[in-house]
Amino acid sequence: MTALVEQIANGMMMGAIYVLVALGLVLIFGVMEVLNFAHGVIFMAGGYVCDVVFMHVLPSYPLAVVATVLALALVGVALERVVFRRLRANVPMQIVASLGLILIAENAAVLLFGPSALQLTVPSVRSLVRVGDLTFTVQHVVVIAACVVVIAALHLFLHRTRLGTALRATSQNAEAARVIGIDADRIYRLTFAIGCALAGLGGALIGPLFLIFPQMGDLPLLKGLTAIVLGGMGSIAGAIVGGFAIGIIEAVSTLFITTDYRDMVVFAMLIAVLLIRPWGLFGVRVRGDA
Amino acid sequence: MRGRAGAVRPATGMAFAAVLYLLAPVFAGSPYVLFALTLTLCYAIPAVALNLLLGYTGLVSLGHMGFAGVGAYVTALLMKNAAVPFAPALAAGTLAAGVVGALVGIPCLRLRSHFFIIVTLAVGLVLFLLFNNLDWLTGGAAGLPGVPRPHPINLGFAVVDPRRPVGFYLVAATLFLLVFAVQYTLVHSDFGRSLAAIRQDETLAASRGVDVFAHKLAVFALSAALAGLGGGLLIDFLRAAAPQSFGFLEDINLVLIVIVGGAGSLFGPLLGALLFIALPETLRIADTYRMVLFGAALLALALSAPRGLSGLAAAAFRKLRPQASA
Amino acid sequence: MAAILEIEGVTKSFGGVRAVDGASFSLAAPGIYGLIGPNGAGKTTLFDVICGRQFADAGSVRLAGGRIDGLRVHQRARRGIARTFQECRVLAEETCLDNLLFAAQDKQLSRELLRMLRRACPQPGIVEEADRLLDLVGLRRLRAEPAGNLSYGQRRLLEIVASLIGRPRLLLLDEPAAGVNPALLDVLRDCLRRVFTERQIVLLIVEHNMEFIMSLASHILVMHQGRVLEQGPPAAIQASRRVIDAYLG
Repeated sequence: MTALVEQIANGMMMGAIYVLVALGLVLIFGVMEVLNFAHGVIFMAGGYVCDVVFMHVLPSYPLAVVATVLALALVGVALERVVFRRLRANVPMQIVASLGLILIAENAAVLLFGPSALQLTVPSVRSLVRVGDLTFTVQHVVVIAACVVVIAALHLFLHRTRLGTALRATSQNAEAARVIGIDADRIYRLTFAIGCALAGLGGALIGPLFLIFPQMGDLPLLKGLTAIVLGGMGSIAGAIVGGFAIGIIEAVSTLFITTDYRDMVVFAMLIAVLLIRPWGLFGVRVRGDA
Repeated sequence: MRGRAGAVRPATGMAFAAVLYLLAPVFAGSPYVLFALTLTLCYAIPAVALNLLLGYTGLVSLGHMGFAGVGAYVTALLMKNAAVPFAPALAAGTLAAGVVGALVGIPCLRLRSHFFIIVTLAVGLVLFLLFNNLDWLTGGAAGLPGVPRPHPINLGFAVVDPRRPVGFYLVAATLFLLVFAVQYTLVHSDFGRSLAAIRQDETLAASRGVDVFAHKLAVFALSAALAGLGGGLLIDFLRAAAPQSFGFLEDINLVLIVIVGGAGSLFGPLLGALLFIALPETLRIADTYRMVLFGAALLALALSAPRGLSGLAAAAFRKLRPQASA
Repeated sequence: MAAILEIEGVTKSFGGVRAVDGASFSLAAPGIYGLIGPNGAGKTTLFDVICGRQFADAGSVRLAGGRIDGLRVHQRARRGIARTFQECRVLAEETCLDNLLFAAQDKQLSRELLRMLRRACPQPGIVEEADRLLDLVGLRRLRAEPAGNLSYGQRRLLEIVASLIGRPRLLLLDEPAAGVNPALLDVLRDCLRRVFTERQIVLLIVEHNMEFIMSLASHILVMHQGRVLEQGPPAAIQASRRVIDAYLG
């Protein structure tokens, strides 16, 4: 029983990370209809930037995380302007561009930091929290708390601010939004900035718990994709539910099968969802879907 | 369609085949180049397979090396465990990959574009994980080493020994030409024209009488089978089947070969394979630098040349001959 | 002799809204028929049900006496239903001639695969037929031009003759006049008349452009709130009180 609770707690923590990745993906997809396959390397960059800032600039983990988020937001703006804006309707070229970015980023990481993993030791990983029989690091709690804060902030932003409402309007109907005076280009830049900031945050938060290495974003990307498909491609609520669901299912499954097959559980889930209910839990069934 | 640029006249085709065969003795003295060329052909075959799907029908499959893996492992297992000769083992591998392709295609081809892309990615990953973890069958992460090369082939006027570099290159060239011929026949057939119509406008194709799902399934199964053929050839060349040859990075690589080489053109897959396989092998730049340069080249390409290298070549060709005829 | 197209009691709802509510009519003889009605009358939905893009919730659709309700789009196309689209669809990368040749091609998968293996020859006389149809609409000189290079009006004409080459029994046209330069409407109307003279089939045209459809069709059906309100010759329809009320009300 304890083992189950422990895995659920672990699952919530990993789920929180997947939620951050998924939120970034779903925002970018929902507003721009762009499937950002480079999202994984943004996540990875978040880990490295946080490490660099913490180790060489300010030895304060919270400030390093903030700096990371801001840095990756800027990267997001640059990516949107230089790369993805031109490729809006062109799915194959989006994929090529994303793959190009993956190659550049992962190999640049190897060139700059070496192929072996980095360790980011911060106070919150050293201090422990005891809940009943179980022990977790403070970082576990930090991750979940950060995710909750982000969800709340995002909700407030999207529903209580003018800019956020403009963003929602653009995602529903870009043409109509333009007609009523919303600057779509500005919205796209903002969306990419937020999306990349979230991915970077994920990388910065997971860094201390696991290692930082060039390929660290590959699996989170795929699981984030799974989360948004599970939740429904344009739905933020879906991304949140999907992300936590995957985290928990994945963690709990290790009680029954070896870790080798753990990833396969998630991908098998993805396939199953796509075949049974491709519009996901919260998505809208569009005329023409199976 | 009928008047499409990229048609190969019989004389040109023969010349192309001749060149391909003549490369063998020309580079016989340089085993490194021959190795690079053979490896290129091994990847060019799955690239042709994916080109049929992506370039001609418009279906983006991000897990296609998974099917190559199915062909590879079936071929390897038959040759190693049942002492089946190369040709029938390869045929069995091709067939197995085609069957798996059909089984995957039946549920997945109903999905709309973004979803289809993601599910193919997931299928490819699941196949890789199976190759990597079903130790009792596939040898797990270590794979299946010790796959034998085919026995020497007596042609009457010469003996081709696939256990040596020149011999195997000729086998690879023959198989590639076979697959190329399949591509050529298909593209210039009514079936190919229906696929082209599906790529351009599915709704229109259906309203003109095309059973879109059946056509997609047919080309998907064929494409999977041909990928399996490539996979079987590859592992026989490497003398070992390993899961790394069929994982996520390999899936990406194959997509790049096809798109950058020029999706929807006859020679695109070969051009792409030369660029992504032969060139790195022969240039011997350090892996990581090479990859960064590749990434940059890809980005540049995505932003400026939507039809890939073949498209660039075709556009340049048209500029040099202003009265291009239909 | 069964009617060419017979709709009986067709009903189709979308999430609680009844787009088509018990529509019935019968088109017995070849002719140019117009289908009009105010916005939301259900014309496009009925169209989609006839050609198979949507399946009716209830009712029947018969083509030359045979029920086609359960058939999918491509199957109905092979039975002899052709259509054009409101947004005008052609194969942009193919030449005008290839567009027509493709439309004429036998697209049954098994037969296509067999022909591939046997390297069969194209149908005799089909190129001449295609050229004749291009001539009919004045596009003969553009036969080698990719369809994407044509003007919108030219693409409309191409779409129409491409729909005809397969010798359909029923040709559905979805707002053919939409987006066409007013100066070219006469040309379009002329073409459709010529097309009808050439192939005596049923043309069913959904249109919003009253002047266009009234001067072209010999019989008008008016839809309102999901069913057929009235039908008759253009003059009668234009004078009908009920029709005018439906549009204004």
